[in-house]
Amino acid sequence: MSLFGTNSSFGTGGTGVFGSTTTDSHNPMKDVEVTSPPDDSISCLAFSPPTMPGNFLIAGSWANDVRCWEVQDNGQTVPKAQQMHTGPVLDVCWSDDGSKVFTASCDKTAKMWDLNSNQAMQIAQHDGPIKAIHWIKAPNYSCVMTGSWDKTLKVQMPNCECLYVYPMAVVATAERGLIVYQLETQPSEFRRIDSPLKHQHRCVAIFKDKQNKPTGFALGSIEGRVAIHYINPPNPAKDNFTFKCHRSNGTNTTTPQDIYAVNAISFHPVHGTLATVGSDGRFSFWDKDARTKLKTSEQLDQPITACCFNHNGNIFAYASSYDWSKGHEYYNPQKKNYIFLRNAAEELKPRNKKW
Amino acid sequence: MVVCNFFLQGRCRYGEKCWYEHPRGGNRGGGGGGGGYNESYSRSSGQQQFRGGGGGFGNRVWVNPSQQRGSYIQPSSFSSQERSDWGSGGGRGGRRENLKSSDFSFSTQNRFSDLSSPSTFDKGGRGGGRAGGAPAGEEDDEKKLEMVQMDMEVWESSGQWGFSCYSSFKAPISGFTDLSPEELRLEYYSARASGDLQSYLNGVNQLLSQWKSRVQELKIMNLATRGALLAELNGTAPQPSTGDFCSTTPAVFGFPSSGFGSKDFGAPAPAQASSFSFTASGFGSSAAPSASAAGFGSAVAAPTQPPTGFGSSSASSASTFSFAAPDPNKLAASSGFGSASGFSFSSAANTGGGFGTGFGTGAPGTAGGGSALVQTGFGAASSTALAEAGSVGGPLDSLFSAESKLTEEELNQFKAKRFTLGQVPLKPPPANLLVV
Repeated sequence: MSLFGTNSSFGTGGTGVFGSTTTDSHNPMKDVEVTSPPDDSISCLAFSPPTMPGNFLIAGSWANDVRCWEVQDNGQTVPKAQQMHTGPVLDVCWSDDGSKVFTASCDKTAKMWDLNSNQAMQIAQHDGPIKAIHWIKAPNYSCVMTGSWDKTLKVQMPNCECLYVYPMAVVATAERGLIVYQLETQPSEFRRIDSPLKHQHRCVAIFKDKQNKPTGFALGSIEGRVAIHYINPPNPAKDNFTFKCHRSNGTNTTTPQDIYAVNAISFHPVHGTLATVGSDGRFSFWDKDARTKLKTSEQLDQPITACCFNHNGNIFAYASSYDWSKGHEYYNPQKKNYIFLRNAAEELKPRNKKW
Repeated sequence: MVVCNFFLQGRCRYGEKCWYEHPRGGNRGGGGGGGGYNESYSRSSGQQQFRGGGGGFGNRVWVNPSQQRGSYIQPSSFSSQERSDWGSGGGRGGRRENLKSSDFSFSTQNRFSDLSSPSTFDKGGRGGGRAGGAPAGEEDDEKKLEMVQMDMEVWESSGQWGFSCYSSFKAPISGFTDLSPEELRLEYYSARASGDLQSYLNGVNQLLSQWKSRVQELKIMNLATRGALLAELNGTAPQPSTGDFCSTTPAVFGFPSSGFGSKDFGAPAPAQASSFSFTASGFGSSAAPSASAAGFGSAVAAPTQPPTGFGSSSASSASTFSFAAPDPNKLAASSGFGSASGFSFSSAANTGGGFGTGFGTGAPGTAGGGSALVQTGFGAASSTALAEAGSVGGPLDSLFSAESKLTEEELNQFKAKRFTLGQVPLKPPPANLLVV
């Protein structure tokens, strides 16, 4: 019995199911491979903030570890450090000064990892696995927000020290829930939004307008669709829209499409264009203002589980590993997981909108 | 400026480049067809049929509406529909046509045609699409149901993640568990660590079969499901027209920890509840609602059958339901068991456990807590249902109460055209009030 159909093209052994390719298609885009990737699926990626010189990449994985690499300008990656949890790591984020990394794990704890001293201490405890963690820096306070499967959102005020871009946070919950928080004075719920999508939410990312203020978010679902939603649009019906992505044989309407989940969405910090990665093993770049697709990659042999841009938008990192979208039968612990880095400066330039 | 006639019809090929005026607020259908972006506006009547041409984009041929199956909307009425759709912004999925006519390739006038992207940006994820302004009532509901059916077909054939909640319009449709792949994976890892993979497998299989049956049910959309679904979607009290009980299928309720009693149910038999040895953390979000709602389709085939089934099972098992609810005595005594099926419950509080049609809802504690327990999908509160209580027979002796035994409020309820939520009488009605 296979979960949800047998149309997956990911055969467990990666045996050239894609027809023409005789070579291993784990890196069809010929992107830079990060050295010593984690041993199990990568759940999250995060680049260091601009306050720190250089680029450092953090990845959390289902092998209970968090790894850090330094990404040099020539594309070389140097593994720097690693921390362990007692359960799979689901989310990571950086503090704004780049000295600390916050990690959230299925072991119900969140830890703060001080990179200088390479020490990690626990900062939060939930009753269930922690799915999301973000560092929030506001003028009058700073805190860490953690969202967990125990249905709570906790805010920790660490003494030293969901998805957030000050001053807005968006939380996508189960049962297609959507809550927006405003973070001005202290995190408080701003609005609950009816989901623009019909199916389970999978990922959410906030985007900013020209003045660098967050104006809306992109929401991805398991059904190969992304909704762009503005918080206070002048014309909601016109401005908010959804688009389909990560589906197969789009032009052929007779045969049923294969629909894949959108695993992660990231916005380019400079251009405002977005990247989506999906269970079909492809990533795509989109321009939401011109409402067009900029590029779609070749298909990798594994789903892409996470993606991230570095602070100036030059590097696009994406992780290729199994995301459990087809259940346990397709899980192959021996299969290598990859993180790829791609030069993102050119491909994500937005199209000119108006004629 | 001269107003562009084609734009008014929704098929201007020049879009923003057009030399003539495109009045805003007019027909947005064709707006921007050849222009910057190619959007497929969700069409109210475009349920299933909008092939590429439906949207009037660019050089498309306007599909003759008469060819469209089930369409009753003339193109001229599009504009008004469109407007109301946008205005309402109701949660009408309205993506119907996109699933079928996905070859909305960019028209030649569109300078992005070389992108040859099959994925289209479509609007109206939320606004429009459904005939908000269309003739309400039956046809509207029909389309909703059709849309649900289409979605089910796509869902099934596409191989996408099945453990997801689903909704076409504002309210989620019951019967679907909402699990993320990570949760499932965590379960697997824990099971593997503890060496008990079998229970994981069983659990997954069970969820899978539930999902499958629920999808099937919605796809086939027999009368029972139809009634239930409509009631759910409309969020109203059950329609009195259909005298079917069967609307219980979408009833959402927590997993009964106690014996279910009813024999009409396949999947969520209590025995299997234990095989779901998922740790609570894994399914925190999904445990309460809807987990077991699926798989009942079969149970409620024809309106006439269930009463007997329910009658016997429920009455006998009334005691097995661990309802802390008021008056279990009342349950047994009030042959209003039969009538109970006709009730619509807001919360389990006042209805003695809301077993309606014999679905135990497990501990009313969970019933109350699980707000999803709005069993709006119950069949008619009409007298026909009550009359059928007579046919339930079985252990039910007294089918009617004497008027003297009823309190004034109960009498009023019976006399009223419909029951009001929260005041549904638990005793059966007096015989003379029944309109047979």
